[in-house]
Amino acid sequence: MPSVEIPLEKWTGQVHQVTLGAGGRKTVTVGGENTLPYLHFDGTIPNKTAVAIEIQDIAPADWSPTLLKAWGDVVNDPATWAKKAVEYGAEAILLNLKSAHPDEGNTGIAEAKAVTDKILSAVDVPLIVIGTGVADKDNEILPAVSEAARGQRIAIGNCEEKNYRTVVAVCIADGHIAIPSSPVDLNLAKQLNILLTDAGLPIDAILMDPTTGALGYGLEYTYSVMERLRMAGLGGDKLTAMPIINNVGEDAWKQKEAKVAQGLPESWGDMETRGIIWEEQTAISLMQAGSNLVVLRHPQSVAKVGAAITKLMG
Amino acid sequence: MSKFIATQAITGAHQTIEKADKMYKEALAKHGPDAVIEFKDSRGGPTAFHVPLIYGYTGIIIEKLGDLEKPLELAKSLLPPTPSEHLWVPYLGETLDSGVATLYAEEIIKSIEFVNGTQPEVKGDFTYNGPIDDSQMRGWGIQLVDGRMPGFAAILGCAKSNEVAVKIVRECQSKGLLVFLAGNNNGRSVVDQLREEGVEMGYDTFIVPFGSDTEAIVYALGFATRAALSFGGVDAGDYRRILLYNKFRCFAFALVLGDMGPVDWATGAGAITFGFPAICDTQVPNILPTGVTRYEHVVSMPFDDIPGKDDMERAEKLVDKCVEVRGIKVKIAKVAIPNSFGPAFEGEVVRRANLQAEYGSKAGPAVEMLEMHDINDIEDGKFEVIGPDLDDLKEGDKTYMAIKVDVAGRKMQKDFEPVLERQIHHFVNGAEGVQHQGQRDITWIRISKGAFEKGFRLKHLGDILHANLHNQFGAIVDKVQVTVITDEKKVAEFLEHAKEVYAERDLRLAGITDDSVDTFYSCALCQSFAPTHICVINPERTGLCGAYSWLDCRAAYEINPTGPNQPVPKGKLISQEAGEWEGVNQFVLENSQRAIDRFTLYSVMDAPCTTCGCCECIMMIIPEANGFMVVSRDDYSETPCGLKFTTAMSDVGGGAQNPGMMGHGKRYVTSDKFISAEGGIKRLVWLSKNIKEELAEELKEAAIAAGDPDLIDKIADGTTATTSDELMAFLEEKGHPALTMDPII
Repeated sequence: MPSVEIPLEKWTGQVHQVTLGAGGRKTVTVGGENTLPYLHFDGTIPNKTAVAIEIQDIAPADWSPTLLKAWGDVVNDPATWAKKAVEYGAEAILLNLKSAHPDEGNTGIAEAKAVTDKILSAVDVPLIVIGTGVADKDNEILPAVSEAARGQRIAIGNCEEKNYRTVVAVCIADGHIAIPSSPVDLNLAKQLNILLTDAGLPIDAILMDPTTGALGYGLEYTYSVMERLRMAGLGGDKLTAMPIINNVGEDAWKQKEAKVAQGLPESWGDMETRGIIWEEQTAISLMQAGSNLVVLRHPQSVAKVGAAITKLMG
Repeated sequence: MSKFIATQAITGAHQTIEKADKMYKEALAKHGPDAVIEFKDSRGGPTAFHVPLIYGYTGIIIEKLGDLEKPLELAKSLLPPTPSEHLWVPYLGETLDSGVATLYAEEIIKSIEFVNGTQPEVKGDFTYNGPIDDSQMRGWGIQLVDGRMPGFAAILGCAKSNEVAVKIVRECQSKGLLVFLAGNNNGRSVVDQLREEGVEMGYDTFIVPFGSDTEAIVYALGFATRAALSFGGVDAGDYRRILLYNKFRCFAFALVLGDMGPVDWATGAGAITFGFPAICDTQVPNILPTGVTRYEHVVSMPFDDIPGKDDMERAEKLVDKCVEVRGIKVKIAKVAIPNSFGPAFEGEVVRRANLQAEYGSKAGPAVEMLEMHDINDIEDGKFEVIGPDLDDLKEGDKTYMAIKVDVAGRKMQKDFEPVLERQIHHFVNGAEGVQHQGQRDITWIRISKGAFEKGFRLKHLGDILHANLHNQFGAIVDKVQVTVITDEKKVAEFLEHAKEVYAERDLRLAGITDDSVDTFYSCALCQSFAPTHICVINPERTGLCGAYSWLDCRAAYEINPTGPNQPVPKGKLISQEAGEWEGVNQFVLENSQRAIDRFTLYSVMDAPCTTCGCCECIMMIIPEANGFMVVSRDDYSETPCGLKFTTAMSDVGGGAQNPGMMGHGKRYVTSDKFISAEGGIKRLVWLSKNIKEELAEELKEAAIAAGDPDLIDKIADGTTATTSDELMAFLEEKGHPALTMDPII
């Protein structure tokens, strides 16, 4: 048989390497690759895609019954929930400060700080904290979260054009990582990265969230924006070469396919299996587009995605 | 640099260092070198930044009295000799060095006072705050960084009267500034004045009294230093970055009230190194050139000479000047009108049945114009109505109006006037129950009964324009003043003036050509859906969507330097005829994901500009006619090339470069640079009827300029030709010049 030479791509850039966790916590390092996802023959991929599990500071009111069943009572106590998540294989915990949202309880600085403290002492894996998405509110609570976790290199989001200055300031002051979030647009993602670095945030303290959709709900579009970001970064543009975080669970479990049991064609099958597959497939697709850290909700999809990563990393 | 100021500052530095030196020796003898130094506020709140200004500037950690030796020596080494009476040299470097030396010495003095137990200062029954502790610094520092607080006002000395003191402080606070107080004039100070007037001071009220001497103001700079160390990611000792951080992010200034001594000047020189200018209410020399600070360094504004009807107005103007000199931008949280305001109301129509009053259209002239002025001639937030207001009209009345918007700004340019003026439409329409159409002297405004009943009056047009211009164009506009005229005679006068300005403006804009500028602008707005498309916008060709002209892009870049409109340096000319430049090609390559490596700006056959999908028109080659056709987005008819607009779009959209086809804005048809590579407008054989009508005047002129005054009549449209045969017959009959031009292919 004639031998086939595999054509190799010559990229000039490299994804920045970002390490979460410090000050005695375990660490997780993502990024650092100089080729497209899992093309080991084409370059080096020093770090595997990391998997985090999302927990909330109050028992979720709108989660799929599949998720609530899987977690059971632990959702009533964030610290117990976090410990359980680590048992299920979470390499990092994403804490969603749901209760601080003006429509969800509007809790304040004290509560945000308290729950951060609690999670930090309950588990030793890196922490990611996401605010409410309401800029003014986040400007109030995120500085308190940051201060509580000072020196432990947590990641803090979301950081948008409206509030990036605040998030950047506290990340610099307390040694954390910022998560800039842009609405599915390469140029806006890059612009935000420019603003963050102009404000003095080191390039290795940024984990970007380009905003994604779930399988069947705009995944293709968000996939191609991620892919373009990654190719621009590998092409040498340092301001698009940040590692990517995707909040997969939130996207996937919002969809009808993941949470509705009644009134659907029989061929759709069992709701529980379907929901888990929905999350798993969304995650694996986004990993192919360049995701460096996927945030999941269901223990079983954590296991499945984990197994896929092991295979992909060869 | 003023020799007077230099001499004063250097003398002040000598005095302060001598004082520090003396105090140090005495304290050392009394307490020994191991006496502990800890900066604390009056509540006992500590700082982890040691003696912060010295720590930030030099990296030296001071924990004990003996540690002061090193910075004291450093301060001495920075001291230049006092200028001799008969020698003039540039002084700036020496003066700034003296300033820094003075700040070191002042912090050393405060450190020793802590050891002596006399800090924070107690005067009678009043305890000053002393330095700001870390927890408060963090709280305020974050807000300074993220812009919720613009900066701080360090006020030294004593105001003309207690009322003036209170007014100045309140004015600063109304602009969101923190107020830091120190110093005195013959023993009296703003702190005393505020106390006598019963004004509470402390962290809760955002007014911090540091101490009664000038030296205490060093706490303000220690605060600024710590903000840079905490939130700027700067390492101690990296003084350059600390100073730059403050210059660009902390909008602080010194306001010096009353006579100034050498120590005041020396301290002020130190503050200047942080980019903090000084504004003085007495007669002193100005330092107007910019450089170390963003704008002027020292501005003298003798209080009694400030124009104004009373001291209150003078105080207000004094603070306004401070805000302007430091470049602090005003943000207006809410448009203060009685009806609602927001984008939801933009498309609202006010119908006859609901009409309170109508201005313009058939009722008489309505005109709007925005002009820039010298910054000192404009009073920000001044709204005036000249003539009858809505109350003076009957329901449903129709009449005339002039809206005169006068703006000023440090970065405002004459060329931005039309860019901002066009926003009047957008802004006014945002008000509930107010409908705005047209522009310039064909403005048409309708106000609904509902808006009137809620209390809307003409003055609120001022509120709307003032708030929106500040909020959206704050980068170029610092002051906005609005006059609404409804007096018949005055409207007529203003209209005359406006017409002159429009004419002058049009002439100037016509003068901005591709050849007269060296920079074009890009637009990457559409890359979200057309990733490899990039617009290059030149003065003689507006963006293909028709929404962005070269001037718009330039203004957009001023406003948002990291935004989607970036400068494209033309670079070396490759072809004048085709409009090809090296700089443009390089930019296009780098910004099209390396998909496109060449753009010609005036050719459709060789490397034409790409299209996202928003173009107003599509141009296509008709080989048999030896020319091109242009179909508009609003034209749904069949065309002679067999493709309708929508069908053709699939070939030009999405960033594809297809020679012979190109998307463009409708006004490009009338440009001097219209496909000049292929022979210009004489190649145009078919043009959508609606464009012919809309741009009739301009097309006529373009035809005359091309040397064929009847050309437009020779160009077919949807009413005369929708097939190739019909087109050819029409062109033959009219004798279209394209038929006899050189072959395109």
